[in-house]
Amino acid sequence: MNQQESKNIIELLKQGDQKTLEKIYLDNREGFLNFSRKYNVDESDAIDIYQDSILILRDNAVNGRIDNLQSNISTYLFAIGKYRIYHNFRVQSRLKMTNDFDLVEENLDFDVNLYGPVVTKEQQLLKKYYDELGERCKSILNLFYYQGYNLDEIRSILNYSNKKVLKSQKSRCIKQLKDLINKHYGKS
Amino acid sequence: MENHDLIDRYFENSLSPKEQQLFNDLLQNDSNFKDEFIFQKDLKQVIAVSQQEELKSRLSHIEDNVQKSSRFMIIPKKWMVAASLLVLTTLGIWSVKSLYYPSNEVIYEDYFQVDRNTIQPVVRGESLKTIEYRAFVAYEAQDYYKAINLFNSVKTPDEAYIIYYKGLCFLALEKSDEAIALLSEVATQPALDSETADFREKANWYLAMAYLKNNETEKAISRLSLITNNPSSNFKKQEAQEVLGYLK
Repeated sequence: MNQQESKNIIELLKQGDQKTLEKIYLDNREGFLNFSRKYNVDESDAIDIYQDSILILRDNAVNGRIDNLQSNISTYLFAIGKYRIYHNFRVQSRLKMTNDFDLVEENLDFDVNLYGPVVTKEQQLLKKYYDELGERCKSILNLFYYQGYNLDEIRSILNYSNKKVLKSQKSRCIKQLKDLINKHYGKS
Repeated sequence: MENHDLIDRYFENSLSPKEQQLFNDLLQNDSNFKDEFIFQKDLKQVIAVSQQEELKSRLSHIEDNVQKSSRFMIIPKKWMVAASLLVLTTLGIWSVKSLYYPSNEVIYEDYFQVDRNTIQPVVRGESLKTIEYRAFVAYEAQDYYKAINLFNSVKTPDEAYIIYYKGLCFLALEKSDEAIALLSEVATQPALDSETADFREKANWYLAMAYLKNNETEKAISRLSLITNNPSSNFKKQEAQEVLGYLK
């Protein structure tokens, strides 16, 4: 895989392309499981770690952290998985550790809970009601807050006639969430 | 500009320095503004978590399918070869004995694939522009001549992994004698740590490939047997068994 291919893949991940992610998952699964067997990691733990690594890969792609990645996606994915195996199981290996630290210095975030867990009661409620929102609202909010598109881009992706209509739609979605939360607390 | 536009622009990363100043002032002095901002910040976090859960459940679903299908779909390569040989024989090609078993060259072509770079994930960055880093860039780009030159100039040319990857470069260039010399060195190193032990195991597999390339079947068999007889080895174990099946 050359650098241009990596770039294309990262671009597809940013756009939320599911097929690409599934292909990456399937292409590297066997290799990763073989690799973790060497460290006597349980198959079910290894699958957990592998899935977390895929989540991290996707998040890092979406957040623009790996825009300048020069290695191929598999190498990067393995680096994340390795890092997590070391941290979960404290496998000692001087050489590999130092190489992973180089990546840490690159400010690449290998932690799965990049955003911190949902802890406060408000956040939990917000999550419950967000999950119940209609598809229209969800896609606007998702494109804006997660995928990081700006309003002009979202206007063209979702085919709004103008930005103002989109903005008021977005405000309505947010208001809907607030109303649901207020209602929950018994405020009107 | 209205206040909620400022918040939108914050999330779009497009506040000008002046707007940023205004944004900070409002955050300190206007409690409604602050509440609104915190609400949207929470929303951003909640959506990200929701996205993670969604992907996680999709992956679990894919995983279930993989595990289900792997129970039925494993067709050993040996059977495939056997099946194709059966076809050939029923076609009446009896006299060409060499067709019964794949030649060493064919096995090599089927099985040889350079090892992925597990040492140095290549990420652009100022601090990482060492010769070793550049060597791995060249290796991944399949520019093996350049990689060999760079591997020759790294700070620690005697490390097992450097010799190993250099050997793979030669093998990829079909220079099997050079590859054999280097990989033998790796394969006979005392395994002081798990790192070296890893490369020792992998080197055995590639040595076998190099011997096949050179048509030195006995030597290839002895390397492959080292892999299949080593209980702690996992690298290419199944493939080693398959190839042994063809050779013996």
